[in-house]
Amino acid sequence: MAAALEVDGVVARYGERTILDGVSMTVQPGEVRVILGGSGCGKSTLLKCCVGLKPPDAGRARMLGQELTTLSERDQRSLLTRVGVLFQYGALLGSITIGENVALPLREHTDLPPDVIAEIVRLKLAQVELGHAEHLLPSELSGGMRKRAALARATALDPDLLFCDEPGAGLDPLTSAELDELLLRLRDRFGMAIVVVTHELLSIHKITDKALMLSQGKVIADGTLDEVKATPHPEVRAFFDRLAAGEMRGPPSALDVLRGPAPGRPPAARPGRQA
Amino acid sequence: MADLARIQLDAAADGHVLRLGGELRRAAVRPLERAIRQASPRAGRALFLDLSQVSGMDSAVVASLIGAWRRAQVAGGQVTLGPMSQAAERSLAMFRVAVEPPAAPAPAGAVEALGGTAYGVRDAFWEFLQLAADATFAVGAALTRRAPLRLGAITQQAIDIGSRALGIVGLITFLVGLTVAFQSAYQLQQFGAAIYVANLTGVSMVREMAPLMCAILVAGRSGSSIAAEIATMKVSEEVDALTVMGLDPMQFLAVPRLIAITCMVPLLTALADLLGILGGFLVGVFYLDIAGEAFINQMLSSMVPWDLVSGLIKSVVFAWGIGLIGLYYGFKVRGGASEVGRMTTASVVASIFYIIVADCVFSVLFYVVL
Ligand SMILES: Nc1ncnc2c1ncn2[C@@H]1O[C@H](COP(=O)(O)OP(=O)(O)O)[C@@H](O)[C@H]1O
Ligand SMILES: [Mg+2]
Repeated sequence: MAAALEVDGVVARYGERTILDGVSMTVQPGEVRVILGGSGCGKSTLLKCCVGLKPPDAGRARMLGQELTTLSERDQRSLLTRVGVLFQYGALLGSITIGENVALPLREHTDLPPDVIAEIVRLKLAQVELGHAEHLLPSELSGGMRKRAALARATALDPDLLFCDEPGAGLDPLTSAELDELLLRLRDRFGMAIVVVTHELLSIHKITDKALMLSQGKVIADGTLDEVKATPHPEVRAFFDRLAAGEMRGPPSALDVLRGPAPGRPPAARPGRQA
Repeated sequence: MADLARIQLDAAADGHVLRLGGELRRAAVRPLERAIRQASPRAGRALFLDLSQVSGMDSAVVASLIGAWRRAQVAGGQVTLGPMSQAAERSLAMFRVAVEPPAAPAPAGAVEALGGTAYGVRDAFWEFLQLAADATFAVGAALTRRAPLRLGAITQQAIDIGSRALGIVGLITFLVGLTVAFQSAYQLQQFGAAIYVANLTGVSMVREMAPLMCAILVAGRSGSSIAAEIATMKVSEEVDALTVMGLDPMQFLAVPRLIAITCMVPLLTALADLLGILGGFLVGVFYLDIAGEAFINQMLSSMVPWDLVSGLIKSVVFAWGIGLIGLYYGFKVRGGASEVGRMTTASVVASIFYIIVADCVFSVLFYVVL
């Protein structure tokens, strides 16, 4: 079976800064792929490259066997109807109600009769336990409710490939766990391929089929959770061993600096020395 | 609590000894800095820190010590850590130091800034032309039904831009009509030519004042709101969300606004023509005691259809530009909420500038060339 997502040597830059420097990965249908990495390492940028919001500066991203940037406008549209994206902050349209937000892709891309669309909207909202919020505006919802409404919108067309940017961030643990279960159901029932960016250790253990870890624009670990955990790269170790994280990396403390280079400690780079 | 900060600087053979004690808080930084500067460890000299009496240090004090260390590094001197209390050690261990802090971008010099601005203006103009072409093309696609024509959205925008502006546009142009009539009456009465107030108000309202006032009001009301709405959607990733749902933001957001503004401004201008003339009429009849019929006959005899048509043509061109400028500043936004405000303001300034320049070009075109 063809891969649901193939990313091949993607390079992404903002101005002079290279954010992604040759990232490759594949995601199979029916697989939850978790993207890990420190804040600001380019996880959201990778998603944007995949869905065509930021065309890669080099390399290619193929969704469902097709490379978005090479398609005609019409084919782009039809490919995008098979892909759902849950944005980091929800990105619901602020001027229309939650129900209308969920209905939007259905109205625009299908010729379903209005009452069927209305029924689908209720199903999707009930699925994320927002049945009561159909007629509210996004500004009247809490952050977690907006996230769930955005998930209902992202899955309105039953996509084959779903991207979620930090679905659990800012949610209480219970809601976050419910969201995770929903993602797993979507995977199992519809064979959806799901790409999830997350920081929550609990989520990671619950949903991961395969994981990928980014650091400084490169993939530093790729495989099942056990394989990733077994990667000897210090940052991977630090990530999974939060307690040690502070000790293993990061700049020296004020104490180290004032003490100067101690025996057995690599000398810190010091401004002025080179000059 | 009673453990007051103590700072004592003693000269030594190869530099100074700085003895600190007590609870060192932010308030102690100034005297501490003074002592450090006085010691100022230069080449071959050292500042020896004795922290054995310290019972606590806050981040400001640690930062001050690190600053001393940094300056010493540059000057080739030394800061040496001597004995210290447990509290001092804990405080120092708690804060991490960026050994090589990232350089802040150097502020550009005057010439460089001028050059940067010039390039900025050129790039902005180029981007604006691209957006104008895209938007025009998108409107064309919608009107020829190669893309869906969103009548609901157009109607809603038309209500916002047109109906809701009726009151203010009508009131302001009525007052302008009154003013123009009074001003010209004062001059014309001296020559016993008061009846010519009818000519002046008619022609100046229809050709100049109504299109101009209307466009400036719409720029402030609707151009700004186009910029603000789209910029807000852009920073909250709503525009990205539309794109990945396969909905072209140009079609979805730009086209209804452009069509609505281009239809509504000429209609508002027609209303402005009427109310402006009404203002002049009232001055003529009640202040100058001209018979109503005579006033109207005089006005109609002085005008040709082209006066009206040229005013409406202008208003269409103004409207199109206001719409494009609002869209440009909306889509241009980068960053957060503060940028939305900046872009909104910029769109109004640019629209009014555009209206005045375009009006000037029209004057030359209509009076000189044609
Ligand atoms: N539109 C942008 N313009 C410039 N820099 C950006 C932009 N978006 C993101 N970046 C930078 O790219 C880096 C990666 O961002 P992002 O992909 O959002 O990180 P994260 O892994 O936290 O999702 C960050 O350092 C950020 O500053
Ligand atoms: Mg992110």
